Amino acid sequence: MSDKSSSRPSGFDRRTFIAGAAGSALVPITARAAAQDASASGAKDAALPVDVTLRVNGKDMRLHIDARTTVLDALREHLRLTGSKKGCDHGQCGACTVLIDDRRVVSCLTLALAAEGQEITTIEGLATDDHLHPMQQAFIDNDAFQCGYCTPGQIVSAVACVKEGHAGSEADIREYMSGNICRCAAYPNIVAAVKQAAPEIMKG
Amino acid sequence: MTAAAPEPKANMGQPVPRYDAAAKVTGRATYASDMPLDNPAYAFLVTSAIAKGRIDSFDLDDARGVRGVIDIVTHENAPKLKESKLFSNGGYAGTTIQPLKSADIAHDGQIIAVVVAESYEAAREAANRVKVSYTAVAPSASFDSPGTTTAAAKGQNAQFKEDPEVGDFAKAFDKAEVKLTASYDTPTQHHNPMELFTTSCAWMGDNLVIYEGSQYVYGLKNGVAEQLGIDPDKIRVVNPYVGGGFGSRGSMTPRTAIIAGIAKRLNRPIKLVPTRDQGFTIATYRAETRHEIRLGASRDGKLVALRHEGAEVSSRPDAYCVGGTKTTTRLYACPNVDSLVSIVRADRNTPGFMRSPPEVPYLFALESAMDELAVKLNMDPVELRRINDTTNEPIGGKPYTSRSLMACFDEAAKAFGWSQRSPQPKSMSDGDWLVGYGCAATCYPTQMAPSAARVRLQRDGRTRVEIAGHEIGTGAYTIIAQTAAERLGVPLEKVAVLVGDSELPPAPVAGGSNSTASTCSAVMMVCDQIRQRLFKALMPSDSLTDKAKETVGISQAPSTQVAKSDRPLDLEKAFDELGAGVVEEYGEWKPEGAPLDSFKAMHSGHARLVGGHAMKDKIAYAFGAEFVEVRVNRFTHEIRAPRLVGAFAAGRIMNPRTARSQLMGGLIWGMSSALLEATEIDQRNARYVNDNLADYLVPVNADVPGVEVILLSEQDDHINPAGAKGLGELANVGTNAAICNAIYHATGQRIRKLPVRLENIEV
Repeated sequence: MSDKSSSRPSGFDRRTFIAGAAGSALVPITARAAAQDASASGAKDAALPVDVTLRVNGKDMRLHIDARTTVLDALREHLRLTGSKKGCDHGQCGACTVLIDDRRVVSCLTLALAAEGQEITTIEGLATDDHLHPMQQAFIDNDAFQCGYCTPGQIVSAVACVKEGHAGSEADIREYMSGNICRCAAYPNIVAAVKQAAPEIMKG
Repeated sequence: MTAAAPEPKANMGQPVPRYDAAAKVTGRATYASDMPLDNPAYAFLVTSAIAKGRIDSFDLDDARGVRGVIDIVTHENAPKLKESKLFSNGGYAGTTIQPLKSADIAHDGQIIAVVVAESYEAAREAANRVKVSYTAVAPSASFDSPGTTTAAAKGQNAQFKEDPEVGDFAKAFDKAEVKLTASYDTPTQHHNPMELFTTSCAWMGDNLVIYEGSQYVYGLKNGVAEQLGIDPDKIRVVNPYVGGGFGSRGSMTPRTAIIAGIAKRLNRPIKLVPTRDQGFTIATYRAETRHEIRLGASRDGKLVALRHEGAEVSSRPDAYCVGGTKTTTRLYACPNVDSLVSIVRADRNTPGFMRSPPEVPYLFALESAMDELAVKLNMDPVELRRINDTTNEPIGGKPYTSRSLMACFDEAAKAFGWSQRSPQPKSMSDGDWLVGYGCAATCYPTQMAPSAARVRLQRDGRTRVEIAGHEIGTGAYTIIAQTAAERLGVPLEKVAVLVGDSELPPAPVAGGSNSTASTCSAVMMVCDQIRQRLFKALMPSDSLTDKAKETVGISQAPSTQVAKSDRPLDLEKAFDELGAGVVEEYGEWKPEGAPLDSFKAMHSGHARLVGGHAMKDKIAYAFGAEFVEVRVNRFTHEIRAPRLVGAFAAGRIMNPRTARSQLMGGLIWGMSSALLEATEIDQRNARYVNDNLADYLVPVNADVPGVEVILLSEQDDHINPAGAKGLGELANVGTNAAICNAIYHATGQRIRKLPVRLENIEV
C-alpha cells in the first residue's frame, strides 16, 4: 500500500507510520535503522499530521492529528470529549472503553486512523436528549461508583456486556465485567446495576 | 429500596443518591486532566534508570530532533525552586527529594528530565530518545539490604511522639501462664488510584491556575507558592472531582512546581499526563513493615502483657513512619504494655500515607496474634476479644467516647453464621475445597481538623455551600448538601455545593478520615449563624434566649438533638423582616483541643488534626468486626474469599448509601491487601518490578462474589458537632488478619507474611 493507492481518506501509509513510530517505547531498537532508511528514501514524514475523520456519537469529526494519536487521545485532546478516561494507556484498566461498531474496545490501544469509517460511541453518546440510558440510571440507583473515574468505561462496557448476552447471571456479569478495574471497589453495586438494566436494554 | 440504599436506623441520615451521580454517569464530571486549556504544550517525564548515583551527562540531540519539541528541561536548565519541608516537619511536601536540582539520583524512577512538545505523541517520542549516562552506586533496596541504617522513630519524626508503654512488660510476660511470640511482615503497596498523577498549569500574568487531583487544595496551593517563591493568593488549585486518592494525593509531590515553573518560562499552558509506571515513583506508597508481637495471658484469656515492635522502611532523607503502636497498645485491656517503632532508611522514594496508614500493617500483626493466642487458649477468638474488651484505654486510662466493638462482633457473627464453625482447623470442607472461617477486630481513630465554610441562603430557599473540601469518591458533595438542607430546613434539591477549589473557604486535607466530621461541623455552624440572623430579624427583642437557642440550634450539639427541637423557619417572613434577598455567612470551626494556631495554619495549608488517642481526657475511635469465609483448593492451593461480612459503628452515619459503599470498598481493599497486592522490588537495583495494572494485582469484579456491610446505630456526643466518626479507612484494617485467620482455620497453616498467594500454601 502506498500513499497514492491508499483507500483511506487520510492517505495514511502504514509502512512509513511504523517506521516513524520507532521512537516510541514499544518498538525494538532495530527499528530505528528502518526509520532512518525511510526518511532517507524520501517517504512521507510520519511525524507530520494527517487528516482523519472520525464518526463519534453519530457525528463526523474532521481532525488533523499526529498519525500515532489513539482514539482515546483524539477524543480527549482534540474533540474535547473527556468522558472516556486514561487510567493506564496500556489496555489494562478499561477506563477508556468505548464502543466501535457496537463492540467494546479499549480506546487507548486503538489508533484513531484505524477507527476511520467506523461508528464510535462514547459515554457522552449514551443518553438521548435529557433521558439517561437505562444503564446510567441503574448505576445511580445502585450507587455503582464512588470516585467516578472508571465509571464511563464501566457503563459503556456494561451496555456491551448486556448486548453480548453476558448478563444472564451474576457470575456471568462478574466475569464479563472484569476488564474494567474499579479501585474504589464498587463491584457488587456494579453487578446489581447491570442486572437491573439488562432486561430494559434487551427489550430495546 | 435497593441494597445500595439501606434503611436508616437511629442516628442515620437518609440514603439519598449522590449529588454528583448524574455528572459521573454521563461523563460530564471534569477531573483535572479533563479541564480545557488554551493551546497547551504537552509534557512527558523522563525518569531515572538507576536508584543511586549521579547523572554524568545527557545526549539530547536525538530528542531535540523530533518534530514539535519545544524544550527539554534537566537539572542543568531547570527553573530554580525553593525547597519545601516534609509535611510532618511543618512543610507541604511528601518528599524532600527534589528532582532536577542536581545530578544526584536518590531513587529509581526519580524525575530527571521533562520534555515539552506541541503534541503528546511528540513529547513521548522525544522522551524516549533522551540518552543518559550515569555513574551508578549499588543501592540499598529494603530491610535486608547491606547499607541501610536503622534508628528509633521517636526523635526523628516530629509526628511520632511516643513509644507507648505502661506497667512492667518484661516481668509480666515472664510470669504469664500462656505466651505467644510471633513475627509478621507486610509488603510494599501502591495506591494506584484510577486517575493518573496529572498536572496542568496555566499562567495568566502573575496568576497561576493548577488543575491537579488533590486531597488538599490549600496544602498544594501554599506548597507550590513556597517553592515558586510567590504569594499563595496568586495560585488557584481546581479539582471539582478527584479520581481516587487513598492518600496518594494528600501531600505535594515535586512534579507540580516543576510544571508550573516550566509553564511560566515558556509562557504557555502545560499539560502533564505521567504514565502509570511513573506513578509508582513520582508519588508515595505504603512501605513494607515488619513486626514482632509478644502476648502474655492468664489461662482464662486475660491479657497480662503485650509488646509490639514495628520496623518500617523510609527513604534516605525523610523519616516517614506510620507508627501504628499508638493504636495497637490501646485496643485491649492489658496492664503491662511495651512498644518500639524503628525506621530503616534505604535508597527509595519517600513513602507516605495509604488508606489507614498505621492500622493496616499494625493491626494485621496484633489481630493475627490474638487469633494465635485464642488457639493456644483453646478459646473462641470472639470470646477472647470479649474478655479483653475495655471501656478505657490501658496506656493513659482515658475512656473511649463510645466503643461498640463487641456489638459489632455479635451482629457480624450472627449475619455470618459463626456458630456453624467447627473450631478445629481443617475440619470443614466442600468437595476439593478446604473451608475456613476467620474474624478480626477493626478500628480507626476519630479525627477532626479546623474548617471554614460559607453558606448563602436565598429567600426562595435556594442555598449554596462553599467549602474547599474534596470529592475523592467519599460522597463529600452529598453529605455537605444533606447537612445544609437539614440544618436550614430547606429541600435537598435546592442546595448547591462547591468543593475542590482553593478559592473557597479552607477545609482540611481529605486524609485521616477527618473530612466528614470537620466539613459538616463547619457547615452546621455556619448554617446556625444564618438561622440566628433570621431569628433575630423575626424576634429582635428575644435573641439568644433559651427559646431562641432552641429554635436556631446550638452549634456544639449533635445534629440529632437539634433535629428534634427544630422548627421550620418562615423564610419569606424572615427575609422581609431582615430587608434582604440573600443572607450569606462565613464561619470558621475548630474542634475541641485544637492548638491555638489552628486557624492560621488552616489558611496556610497546614492541617492540624486532633482526635484519636491524642485527646486530653478521652480517646475516640470507630470500631468494627469482620468475618471471612475462605476456600483453599486442596490440589491447586487456589485461595478464594467468597464471603466478607463486616459490622461497623461510627457515630452518626450521614448517609447510609455512601457509608455502605465506602465500607464495602474498604472490605474489598482489605481482601486485596491480604491476597493480591504487593509491589515487588528488584533487590539488586532497588526498583519496582510490577509497576503496571496488569502485574500489580488489584481485584476485578470476578474476585469479589459476596460482601455484606452492617451499619450499627451509635450515638457519640463527645466528638464533634456532627457526631460523626470517620469511616473511610475503617473497613480495610481488620480484613488482612481475618483472612489469614480463616486460612489457618481452613488449612492449619499460619501465614504471617502478606500477601498470601497459592505458592505460600503447603496443605
